[in-house]
Amino acid sequence: MNTFEINLAGLSMRYPALVEDLRRVRGGRLTITAARTGIPTATESGRAIHSAYDPQKEAMTWAEAQTTALQPGEVAVVLGVGLLYHVEALRRRLPRENRIAVVVADLSTFHDALACRSLGDWLDRVDWVWGDAREVATTLMSLEHPLRFVTYAPAARLHAEEHDAIKLALRRMAAQKAGAQLHVAVVGPIYGGSLPIARYTTSALEFLGHRVTWIDHSHHDRSYHSLADIKDARQRAAMQSRFAELLSQLTVVRLSEDPPDLVLALAQAPLTLPMLHHVRQKKLITAMWFVENYRHLTYWQQLAGGYDYWFIIQQGAFPSMLKQAGAGHVNYLPVAADPSVHRPLDLSNDDRVEFGADVSFVGAGYANRRAILPRLIGQPYMFKVWGNEWVGAHALAGALQRQGQRIDTQTCIKVFNASRINLNLHSCIGEGLDPDGDFINPRAFELAASGAFQLLDQRSLLPELFNEKEMTSFHSPDDLLGQIPGWLHEHEARAAMARAARERVLREHTYVHRMRDLLSQVGMTQPDRVGAVLRGERTAGSLVPRSTDHPALSAILTEFPSSQRVELKDVAERIRSRGPTAELTQDHLLLLLLDEYRMERRDLV
Amino acid sequence: MPASSAKRPESGRAVVIQLARLGDLIQSLPAIAALKGRDVERNLSLLCASPLASVAARFPGIDHVIPWAGAYWHRWAAQAGPIQPRVEEARSYLEGLMPMTYARAYNLNQHPRAVLLSTLIAARVMGPGEKGPLDRGGPPWAAYVRAVATERGQNRVHLADALCGFCGARPLGVSLRLSCPSVSLPEDLSAIGQEEGAWVALIVGAGDCERCVPLIRWSEWIVRFLERHAAGRVVLIGSGNEREGGRAIQDHIPSLVLGRVWDATGRTTLEQLMVILARCQWVVGADTGPLHLGAAMGARALGFYFARARVHETGPYGEGHWVWQAESGTADECPISESVDVVLSDRVSATDSQRWTLWQSHLDQWGAYYTHPGSPNPDQQRERTWQQLHQSEFPQTTHEYV
Repeated sequence: MNTFEINLAGLSMRYPALVEDLRRVRGGRLTITAARTGIPTATESGRAIHSAYDPQKEAMTWAEAQTTALQPGEVAVVLGVGLLYHVEALRRRLPRENRIAVVVADLSTFHDALACRSLGDWLDRVDWVWGDAREVATTLMSLEHPLRFVTYAPAARLHAEEHDAIKLALRRMAAQKAGAQLHVAVVGPIYGGSLPIARYTTSALEFLGHRVTWIDHSHHDRSYHSLADIKDARQRAAMQSRFAELLSQLTVVRLSEDPPDLVLALAQAPLTLPMLHHVRQKKLITAMWFVENYRHLTYWQQLAGGYDYWFIIQQGAFPSMLKQAGAGHVNYLPVAADPSVHRPLDLSNDDRVEFGADVSFVGAGYANRRAILPRLIGQPYMFKVWGNEWVGAHALAGALQRQGQRIDTQTCIKVFNASRINLNLHSCIGEGLDPDGDFINPRAFELAASGAFQLLDQRSLLPELFNEKEMTSFHSPDDLLGQIPGWLHEHEARAAMARAARERVLREHTYVHRMRDLLSQVGMTQPDRVGAVLRGERTAGSLVPRSTDHPALSAILTEFPSSQRVELKDVAERIRSRGPTAELTQDHLLLLLLDEYRMERRDLV
Repeated sequence: MPASSAKRPESGRAVVIQLARLGDLIQSLPAIAALKGRDVERNLSLLCASPLASVAARFPGIDHVIPWAGAYWHRWAAQAGPIQPRVEEARSYLEGLMPMTYARAYNLNQHPRAVLLSTLIAARVMGPGEKGPLDRGGPPWAAYVRAVATERGQNRVHLADALCGFCGARPLGVSLRLSCPSVSLPEDLSAIGQEEGAWVALIVGAGDCERCVPLIRWSEWIVRFLERHAAGRVVLIGSGNEREGGRAIQDHIPSLVLGRVWDATGRTTLEQLMVILARCQWVVGADTGPLHLGAAMGARALGFYFARARVHETGPYGEGHWVWQAESGTADECPISESVDVVLSDRVSATDSQRWTLWQSHLDQWGAYYTHPGSPNPDQQRERTWQQLHQSEFPQTTHEYV
């Protein structure tokens, strides 16, 4: 029997199906040579998978580095197969209570490993997971233990796409299963486009059952803008900077009052880098949802290292740029709609008259809009423009509504509902369409959720969010002008597309979906903290069986509803509520003492 | 209120709990002396913050020091995860630290942490927590000290003596000294106190800015002192955070006298600081831990009390110490020339300032008190307060507590 067969025999008891699959594939993806120590090593397309000198020593160093992060009971999910030296080293190093699951993204590579190395009995002490992304994710979820990914980069890079797909599938599954009751502090901006998103985010988190502390800085809008009256530019900038610094400190004070499991900041949130470092030192997990165009707002370069997690609305080069600037975890998370706000309306006749038009545009007067929209004037259809910052756009004077005043969200939704065609033209500083147009703005989701038909400028990230039956786009101003008459006459087609787009939003693109996604991503990389809460491991029902050695604690835990999250402070509060004459055991006193130390938060501020 | 522990308390053992900072630890000396002095407690331990254990080890009458590592508790409290393992760790720590529980705990802190800890480790608590770990009332002396802290008023009872009251004891009315550790100083500081001269330890900082004497005023003080006393020597003391302050002070001292200034800021352990203080005749500074430590090491103290510091409550304990108390003055205006006079001649030169008043320390049967120079009679308020609050004299036997 050759090495391959011996290894298959070792696997056959637990993994007969894997053995069958391995017999069907051919190896040869890896180039096997002898390392200086004489044992096999591998390269792929000339790039080393293992050390050319001593693969075992290299693997031991790698395994040592991984073990520090692993908590008892966690499953180490290994990405990257190669010749499995690293898996063997990890298995030897980790206690048996830590299971190891190796993701086999490509059976051909695995075949190579099994053919050139006698792997021995440890092969049977590892979980092998293979199949498509969904199958792998399902298997990993079925392990019912916290998962912690450990990546052997030289081998994992061969299958980066497959690994991303697995993580995404896992994230979605975890999101569906997630329990509730995290405490999330949402830090909003003083003003701007991310302010309503902060509100929708807050609502979505509350809808999911989490406790939300909404740190709303919009109260400071007037004060902040009043600083614009300072004539001296240097003084003005200094005052604005100090104001932002003050709000940053204020945020930390609020966080210290009731420390959350996660601090979720929206773009433009007034949190300075020193404050972020301070907050992170105090072990709070921080995330930024950067719902801005990274090409226009570039402060992410300074703040990249300040947040534990970045969620961004663009792909392409931006994720790696962010990582280069110091960001740890970077994830794509497009914006969405809030169906409780963005919804179809039964409009009165008066509303239809006031807000209705053949073609409408809602938005601020950016340069490209000022250049393109006048071309819709004088056409054989009614065109209305809503929104502010249109001063000087004389060509649009006849179409501009309410003298270019800012309109509120409710009015926007009336316009969406009353218009036959809603034009959604992403802003840019040039005169045409955005040449780098990639992300989808909130307006696209809001229009869709409102059941309104829209014509959207071409965006590279559109296809993965909406298919062509759900949303249509134009690739140039001329294309826009060409499409409008056709769509105006296609009432049924417009209605069908709007309906399909709304269904897609309700199915996949609400802020509830986004928050599920975001939290499961954080939970996957923080399995012992956020992950544990999301898996329901902090509920009274889950804690009681683990507290049997502590009757006093166990008795208190049973006083809470089984599904309620219970933390130290809740237990301590329950003990204190018994009053000054209560008979307390040693456990009670230890719990109270720990809680007194928890409450000492001066150092956070 | 014994915690329901499996361990039996050891009847002859008692523990004093003082979790606060250096100054408060030193202020606990009279209470410990009172407990030991009347032969009430034969075996007395002292539980204090672990960084201060080396000081506590020099306390007369203390048989055993228990260093309390609050950092562990902070870590367990902040940990994410199930509660039960954290309770287990806390319990193990406690058992490792104290294999036996105590018959009595004398708790000198009002903080709930100290109250809970006292209840955890002793069969009976005296002081805050004696009516139960969740009772916020405490003994009359605890209420008195709380009222003084919030309302100020005309209190004349020294905090150190009030701590005796916490323990159910009365102060002995004697000066108390710590023994000097036998550690060597860094070589370049080893000459401190070994040469003839008037050695003054000057405390550079005081933590919060509002409690600090401005550095330029310290420079002025040193220059004035060294100009007027040819054999004068000054040692700058402080933590590593005060090194920059130490250098700034020296920047304003003429090079002619700079050779008589030693900078020990950030260069000593607590034990080495004790050695330096023991070798100096005077310690000068704001109301800080080192000022009290200096007094306890045998140096005479000259304090500048402002911000929230009040001479009658926290003046250096003992006899022959001086305190300048800000009445309406600020730290910028602290009396330099007059205070140098005090150190040089133990006399007060006339001062036209009503913004700062000078006080001198004394001891009597009610403990420490301060009076204006030349009027040594104590205020009657202390005696009245003791009669009012000290409901029963300390019991003469210990078995009734067990």
